[in-house]
Amino acid sequence: MLRDITLGQYYNTKSVIHNLDPRTKILGTMVYMVSLFAFNSFWTYLIAFAALVTVIVLSKVPVRFMLRGMKAIFLFLIITVLYNLFLTQGDTIFSFWIFNVTIQGLKQAILMFFRLTFLVVGTSILTLTTTPSNLTDGLEALMYPLKLVKVPVAEIAMMMSIALRFIPVLTEETDKIMRAQKARCADFDSKNLFKRIKSYVPILVPLFISAFRRANDLATAMEARAYRGGDGRTKMKPLKYKAGDWIAYTSMLIYGIAALAITVLINFQIFMLKA
Amino acid sequence: MNKLVKTQDVTYEYVRRDDDGNVENIVNAIEGINISIEEGQMVAIIGHNGSGKSTLAKHLNALLTPTEGTVWVDGIDTSNEEKVWDVRQKAGMVFQNPDNQIVGQVVEEDVGFGCENLGIKTEEIWERVADALKSVDMYEYRNASPNRLSGGQKQRVSIAGIIAMKPKCIILDEPTAMLDPRGRKEVINAIIRLNKEEKVTIILITHNMEEIIGADKIFVMDKGKLVMEGSPREVFGKVEELTEMGLTVPEATLIGKKLYDSGLPISLPVLTKEELVSEIGRARLSKFR
Repeated sequence: MLRDITLGQYYNTKSVIHNLDPRTKILGTMVYMVSLFAFNSFWTYLIAFAALVTVIVLSKVPVRFMLRGMKAIFLFLIITVLYNLFLTQGDTIFSFWIFNVTIQGLKQAILMFFRLTFLVVGTSILTLTTTPSNLTDGLEALMYPLKLVKVPVAEIAMMMSIALRFIPVLTEETDKIMRAQKARCADFDSKNLFKRIKSYVPILVPLFISAFRRANDLATAMEARAYRGGDGRTKMKPLKYKAGDWIAYTSMLIYGIAALAITVLINFQIFMLKA
Repeated sequence: MNKLVKTQDVTYEYVRRDDDGNVENIVNAIEGINISIEEGQMVAIIGHNGSGKSTLAKHLNALLTPTEGTVWVDGIDTSNEEKVWDVRQKAGMVFQNPDNQIVGQVVEEDVGFGCENLGIKTEEIWERVADALKSVDMYEYRNASPNRLSGGQKQRVSIAGIIAMKPKCIILDEPTAMLDPRGRKEVINAIIRLNKEEKVTIILITHNMEEIIGADKIFVMDKGKLVMEGSPREVFGKVEELTEMGLTVPEATLIGKKLYDSGLPISLPVLTKEELVSEIGRARLSKFR
């Protein structure tokens, strides 16, 4: 049953977005996130929305997969919206009991709603179109400058990729241990929350012991295959930028400039009106 | 012929410490081992659990260095720290648990791991990986996730990962112990083919005597010492001694020995089923003559 968990949430299909270099996608996602926080007018959000729709269409990933991430933050989203709606000071539209709904509050609530939605959908495009191993490679390449301050970038990436490799192995093991403990009358479905948490201890202990043993074995096996850290290693699958990546970077630049231009224009207008 | 692996009076002390770090006792995991293995041979090391055969194996690619004595791999002294990586390239090692030695998330990435460590150019890595996977008959699985493979397939991927490093010899530490009979057969056939066709020296550590009938030489270890050495025919001729050490012999050998002991005049030792059948046939004929 635990084995059914798919690794990450990669959606396997062929599209221009899937084909992009992971570095491009990670940077693109970062640009998008920054733009959502930096700009907050109606027109910039319209551009952000248009950009999002374009990327979704290009990625060929069904929209319901993108919205899946929304489930996780649903409660958070509702609380944020209500908080902004009722607790922002300003010109009251209407009020009841102790709540005051203001124009500013309404605007802020709508803004927050779209900001969070775009954020979640935008980042999920990254994970939906990039395999975990590609993602690690991309992160390794982008973290490369940190090497100057002695951060062991290659080793961190190796750790991440080994962790990914062993997730299915360890889930299978958990499954096995659970069944073994069930055969000895362990009760994992107790209604009492405290009891239920306690019942997981006999799973965690053998799981940790076996994980340590595996780690030890793997370290020996890696050493036997001449692994000596990141220095002097070559890459079997080096990252290479293709034409599509340059188009993507150009689009990012245009997007950034457009959003910035609109913000400047609007602020200029407000300034003129005040003057 | 060239001596590829040679050990001289190798002893490895295993120091056991108590919780405070004081030396509790010192055990010699292996003691005074002298072996030499020629290039292109297929040799086997057998022994009971705790006989020191895995410890010896780890000496052959510098995962352990001897407390006393010397190990040479292709002329390099393994205790020379500067040459450790050369030793590991020349003598590759495959371990028992297939799950705990696969690093990559995709088969081909795992096979390329060793080459990446050696700093080989990208294009050449791809060539080597393809050749290595073909040599163990796993090429069509190159894009599969290791988690979806059977034990025998995973073990063959591990072997390919070593072959891609172009070693002179491969040390296999009980590679079939965790496999089902089918997986065992796949792995053993792959090993034998590598030895016969690619002329790779094989050092096979095992419990399963059927696997080593075709070996050029067998070393028998007991309590950290080398107690016997010779061709399969020489070693399996000493059924009683082996049984005393807690080791088995191939089934056909045992049946042959029992038949001989009960009076059937067959020539010992018998190694394979076919040999046994023909020997029994011959013995019966001579009896009736």
